[in-house]
Amino acid sequence: MNATVSTSGSVRLPSKGRDTFRLVLTTTFVVLFGWSAISVELKWSRLLEAPADMYRLAQVMFGNLAWDQFGNLVGLMWDSIAMAWMGTLIAAVFAIPLSFLAAENLVGRPIAWVVRQVFNVLRAVPEVILALLFIPVFGLSPMAGVLAIGVGSIGSLGKLFYEIIENIKTNPIEAADAVGASAVQRLRWGVIPQVAPELTSFLLYRFEINIRASSVLGIVGAGGIGGALADAIRFKEFGQAGLALIVVIVGTIAVDAVSGSIRRRIVAGPKQADSVEPDEEPLPPTSTGAPALASGPRG
Amino acid sequence: MSLDTAAKLEAGAEEALELPPRPRPSMLMIVIGLGALFFTVLSARRVEFSPGDLISNLTRSNPVFDGLLNMSWDEMFSSRSRKAFVETLQLAVLGTTAGVIVSLPLALWATEIGNPYVVPRLILRSINNVIRAIPDLLWAGLFVLGVGIGALSGLLALFFFSLAVMVKLTADTLDGIDMGPIEAANAAGATHTQMLRTAVVPQILSAFSSYALYDFELNLRASAVLGLVGAGGIGQRLDFFRNRGQWDKLWGLVLMFFLVVFVVERISVSIRRRLV
Amino acid sequence: MIRFDKASVTYPGGVSAMRNLDLEISDGEFVVIVGLSGAGKSTLVRAINGLVPLTDGGLQVNDHDVPNLDRKGLRALRSEVGMIFQGFNLVDRTTVLNNVLMGRLHQVPTWRTLVARYPQADIDIAARALERVEILDRAYTRATNLSGGQRQRVGIARALAQEPKIILADEPVASLDPPTSHVVMKYLQQISRELGITTIVNLHFLDLATAYADRIIGLRDGELVFDGPGSAADETTFRDIYGRSLTADDTMAKQAAL
Repeated sequence: MNATVSTSGSVRLPSKGRDTFRLVLTTTFVVLFGWSAISVELKWSRLLEAPADMYRLAQVMFGNLAWDQFGNLVGLMWDSIAMAWMGTLIAAVFAIPLSFLAAENLVGRPIAWVVRQVFNVLRAVPEVILALLFIPVFGLSPMAGVLAIGVGSIGSLGKLFYEIIENIKTNPIEAADAVGASAVQRLRWGVIPQVAPELTSFLLYRFEINIRASSVLGIVGAGGIGGALADAIRFKEFGQAGLALIVVIVGTIAVDAVSGSIRRRIVAGPKQADSVEPDEEPLPPTSTGAPALASGPRG
Repeated sequence: MSLDTAAKLEAGAEEALELPPRPRPSMLMIVIGLGALFFTVLSARRVEFSPGDLISNLTRSNPVFDGLLNMSWDEMFSSRSRKAFVETLQLAVLGTTAGVIVSLPLALWATEIGNPYVVPRLILRSINNVIRAIPDLLWAGLFVLGVGIGALSGLLALFFFSLAVMVKLTADTLDGIDMGPIEAANAAGATHTQMLRTAVVPQILSAFSSYALYDFELNLRASAVLGLVGAGGIGQRLDFFRNRGQWDKLWGLVLMFFLVVFVVERISVSIRRRLV
Repeated sequence: MIRFDKASVTYPGGVSAMRNLDLEISDGEFVVIVGLSGAGKSTLVRAINGLVPLTDGGLQVNDHDVPNLDRKGLRALRSEVGMIFQGFNLVDRTTVLNNVLMGRLHQVPTWRTLVARYPQADIDIAARALERVEILDRAYTRATNLSGGQRQRVGIARALAQEPKIILADEPVASLDPPTSHVVMKYLQQISRELGITTIVNLHFLDLATAYADRIIGLRDGELVFDGPGSAADETTFRDIYGRSLTADDTMAKQAAL
């Protein structure tokens, strides 16, 4: 026999209140989605054939890899990686000083606002379009890609950087001030130690993103492995396209891995891992019933 | 402080105090620093970086730049461009929605909470990493190759790209949630699915929505260029103008589109702020 | 009726959190378990609803032979046993009512939980549970906006919504201040008496134990070292259970005075 909670009759809940924000948001979305689905010019029947099509493509691409092109493709991938790195560095060179101009705690609202809008515009434009701008300037060479990536990244890095600058704690700066440090010394001892690890981390993060852009810029002719891919696609050299794709994937994952681990070391570096003595009750194991403790609780 | 220390301080520390050995800058940091320097030099040579050439090239005049300075706004009134515009928006909306919806169960399956079996989890995460390693333009190119030119390829590309972004972000968030409510749901006798729905999903819903809006922004930007490989949207118009050297029209279209993107971004940012 | 029969729990690592426990708890009893951290209180309580499996021995909870239950059986067992946690374990981002409805999950088909359309009968039960802990007016408040004491009341309501035969409380007041702790303990006592629910509470404040317990069980190093009425426990008893002399941390009143 289950205990009943209460012997009284049914109880009245308070009024629920309406969340108009959520309502408006959901309705807008539903309308937008509905309109898009209905009016887009798409042969939906082709969607059903798509998996088979892609499978066939995969067979052709990976069934007959053009190994003779391997050296060439790896070289091109290095070009793309180099492009991404140089672009990121150039962006940092410009973004760091500019970001100081975008930090409200340093320059005041109006100037900061203008600089931020510049960042927004640069962030918004895809690198491919910037590449279109730089190719006539540098020709069909990696430098066009470097500039495209560089200019585009100024926006993102700038934004990330000024957010860091605005969030620094004032205490170390005050301390430096209190012992009579000059402006440069304040920067060196109060600001830079706080921001350097995060800055570097964001730089590497941006580098990882830029690899993806640089692999692709070749499609419009800006150098790197994208060119080989575009050619392969144009001339239906599926074996070469397949190998190029593999090279891009492996290269990107490798860069991600190296960059990611460096990033983690930089952020975690200065901190020592504290060893905490466990003195609480033993942790309950996972609730499916299997004990999940690697080592037992302490006494 | 102890009497000893006080006495020492008072005595004016006539004997030089011995500092503890100064910690060496970490070996690893030095290696990384040098590696970065070396890498930079190599890269500069690979891309044939030369500041002199850089400046002289940039200051030369060229038609593309001229087109940028003399943008033509007529394209706004061309029906073909407007159609392409609309198509770009539609692709972004549909691709994002489909990707977001499918990504939630996938993200759950990729984490320990949703999926107690290690192997399928690892497989899922690895597949996701591979998908993430392929840029969206490349996806579009592949789909154009396999399925054909047109908006469908763009849609599929955006779908997969969204999946990759959303699964990664959501899975990372899921790894950090509070296990307390999960224990409570299990202690009340809930099934696995009920537990996920009542104890896990509510915890990440606002972050998830925020990611979805971010994904939409990314897709809107991406859909502009997908047409360059034939996957629909204004990219195809851009390619058309590029091939005919009509730079003024090209930049006009670009500017217009990015004004729209800018507005959408502002709206998205304010919505996201209210979601948190 | 809960019966431990030479029950033992040894964690992988080798630590023994329960050694050959023989214990019988009848329906409707209000039992308080005391002991030092690591003595096995949490293990004992979590063994009753199967969150911690026994490594040896037997455990009978009403008609359930706990060590031999499959997943479905465990879920059925747990639906009859409500649990209250030190950390409250509420879903902060959702409403009080949704939190309490978690207690009805076993009775509600999965598809209904997926779309969050609970039957009116279950909502009524949740509402009555909220009323019993006097927090009905906050039904649509987000859990994150509540104080500690209010959150634990929601936790109690959630357990109550299961219409349980047994309620387990693992250090339910450790995060609360003294007046609120008394309020929560009073609710638990009242619920146990009025509804006949077997209640087992882990406490580390000894004065609270003597104030509310009908029966006190003392654990040390996973073994039962004391089992008697609350009135029979005094400072000497506790010193024996703890195996050390008592400090101000062991009593709520004295710790509050610090």
